[in-house]
Amino acid sequence: MTKDGQLWRPTRRRLLQAGAVLGTAQLASPFVQIARAADVVKIGMDNPLTGTYAALGKNELIGAQMAADEINAKGGILGRKVELLVEDSTSGDAGVAVQKARKLIDRDQVNFIIGNVNSALAQAIANVANEKSVFHVVPGGHTDSVTGKDCHWNTFRVCNTTQTEANAVASTLVKKAGKKWYYLTPDYAFGHTLQAGLEAAGAKLGATKVGGALTPLGTTDFSSYLIKAQAANPDVIIFLQAGDDAVNALKQAVQFGLDKRFHLAGAQQELEVLEGLPPEARVGTWVFEWYWKQPKVAGVDAFVAETRKRTGGKVPTARHYFGHTAIWTCALAAEQAKTLDAVKMAKAMQGFQLPPEIAMMPDGAFYRAGQNQMIGDLYVGHAQSKGADDPEDLFVVDQVVNGKDVSPTLEETMCKQDWPA
Amino acid sequence: MRFDVKKNALSLVVWALLLTAPLWVDRVGAYPELVTQVVVMGLAAMSLNFLLGYTGVLSFGHAAYFGLGAYGVGLTIRYLMPSTMAGLAVGVLVGALAAALIGPMIVRRRGVYFAMVTIAFGQVFYFIAFRWNNVTGGDDGLTNWHRENLHLGFATFKLMDSPYDFYYFVLAVFAICTGLMALILRSPFGRTLIAIRENERRSRFLGINVNFHIWVSWVVSCTFMSVAGALYALLNNFVDPRAFYWSQSGVFVIMCVMGGMRSFWGPLLGAAVYVVLQDYLSSVTPNWMSFIGLVFVAVVLFFPRGFLGVLRRRASE
Repeated sequence: MTKDGQLWRPTRRRLLQAGAVLGTAQLASPFVQIARAADVVKIGMDNPLTGTYAALGKNELIGAQMAADEINAKGGILGRKVELLVEDSTSGDAGVAVQKARKLIDRDQVNFIIGNVNSALAQAIANVANEKSVFHVVPGGHTDSVTGKDCHWNTFRVCNTTQTEANAVASTLVKKAGKKWYYLTPDYAFGHTLQAGLEAAGAKLGATKVGGALTPLGTTDFSSYLIKAQAANPDVIIFLQAGDDAVNALKQAVQFGLDKRFHLAGAQQELEVLEGLPPEARVGTWVFEWYWKQPKVAGVDAFVAETRKRTGGKVPTARHYFGHTAIWTCALAAEQAKTLDAVKMAKAMQGFQLPPEIAMMPDGAFYRAGQNQMIGDLYVGHAQSKGADDPEDLFVVDQVVNGKDVSPTLEETMCKQDWPA
Repeated sequence: MRFDVKKNALSLVVWALLLTAPLWVDRVGAYPELVTQVVVMGLAAMSLNFLLGYTGVLSFGHAAYFGLGAYGVGLTIRYLMPSTMAGLAVGVLVGALAAALIGPMIVRRRGVYFAMVTIAFGQVFYFIAFRWNNVTGGDDGLTNWHRENLHLGFATFKLMDSPYDFYYFVLAVFAICTGLMALILRSPFGRTLIAIRENERRSRFLGINVNFHIWVSWVVSCTFMSVAGALYALLNNFVDPRAFYWSQSGVFVIMCVMGGMRSFWGPLLGAAVYVVLQDYLSSVTPNWMSFIGLVFVAVVLFFPRGFLGVLRRRASE
């Protein structure tokens, strides 16, 4: 059906093919750019909604949404409404998190970027935000380097550093349990840093390491490690696992009866994790970064009531708190600097003391100048299998530690900010 | 030889779209980094297809060479010298060298055994990157480096400062790579590969050294894969061990199958659909992976030759 001699002679079929190609091109770009009013302040949230950290990420989102609604009810940021743009960073794929950060910054032109629960992803997003000079808040990734040796002038962090948490729990352990510690550490970067932090904190107080085992990520059977731990006869067995590994390790430790003979402990713990544990495995000394039962602290009761309204009766966890504080940090920075210019906002936040109803901690909270790390209170206490009057009251705060007393000094953090000229 | 427009219509359309992309991406709601990613992933999928579609050998470990390219460029810029081109060269060289060394150990396997061995080698690299914290940054990935602007004698390309400059840089590399692949496939050597795909035993009886041909095809494929990996690292200014992970290899296979394994441009279309769908759906719903899975299942069930395969068949009927 084709004739020679002619260079280009569209047939019906060829036209159809061209149509199909064009159609596919349309399909391939299904996003229709919705024209948004220019008078909106955009906050991009690049946080996990799928994978291991999905539960934590979703709770941070609830807190963030709550803060955005509060800010809008009070007239917005600099008189402009706040809009929250949410992207799923996945729980572990930094490539996706980086791609989403670029999407939020380049396409959506966000004024602020929030993220991430996973420290590795938080650092990756921080680097993108720094490259583009966007005000960045890390709600809940703990690795020291984010506000330590890899810190940036535009990256602020709400949650504590690993070292601060280790310092907070170490003093309680030495007082309550003893000085011979055994470590069960997940065998990857996060676990190693956590153990190094605890060893350093313990060493200052005279605690010694009597042994340790590295458990591969995803271990389901901890019995051989637990037997080794018993044999070392420590005062304290320290669990540094997270997620499912933590659930398995603690469950098996209780089945072995170790909780009766040794003191079980760890560094950071989350209410989400305790709720996921069977009641008998809710044991040990831990540090929480925020707790919902603080009867004498301003703003907490209202925050709890509002969260219950939004989540069908569940109480806020530290993650709700982080999301809420992160969004408020953006609003306060803009109000303080009277502009949305990232450099001016970051300058205005150096040493900034959060208002008490946002900080919601007995000693208040502030962003340390030169490091952009929020320093507030830490809650050292023990897990309990059943709450007395509320099923979600699974933690008893034994001691509120002021972050000022346990944070590494600015020199120790090795943070050197490189401000734009 | 006269240039046959009709025969090359598809290539012309592809190049027209790619070259003009910066003009229309904003209108359809995309952004330059997304198109760059499509081109990079397209190159990766086309490299895999060189082996999968034209030699008929399924590798499930190509992410290893993608990752080697990515870490090659990252480590070079971070520790050795801040130069985009030097990084790219080292990344590609490392990937090609590793492929050349590993190749002889796997080319004697076929089918599922070949796939298994490639996965095994891929995982070796994954665990090295995951565990060697001091050098690779371990699970946290390799940070604190970025691509550098490119200074040639006559002009400066602002690879770092302008996403469009970087896009055209990637496109130029893409053009060189796809051009080379097309040339190889048209040569007698390329025809031999297709002969091996069609009937390995007959090729052997014809006196063709099948294992050697597969080894060469493997090295070529892995080399272009490491180019793609290096470009991907430059795009993100970041690498993490997941670039090596076997699921990443799976993604490349999915792209090839979705786009069409028998056609030259099919994998590029597959990559475009995958990348754009992922970017779009994951903003809409946290369950985006199930939708990509659904599309994949639908493609396998209804268009076993991929999107382009279907167009091709319609055209020839």
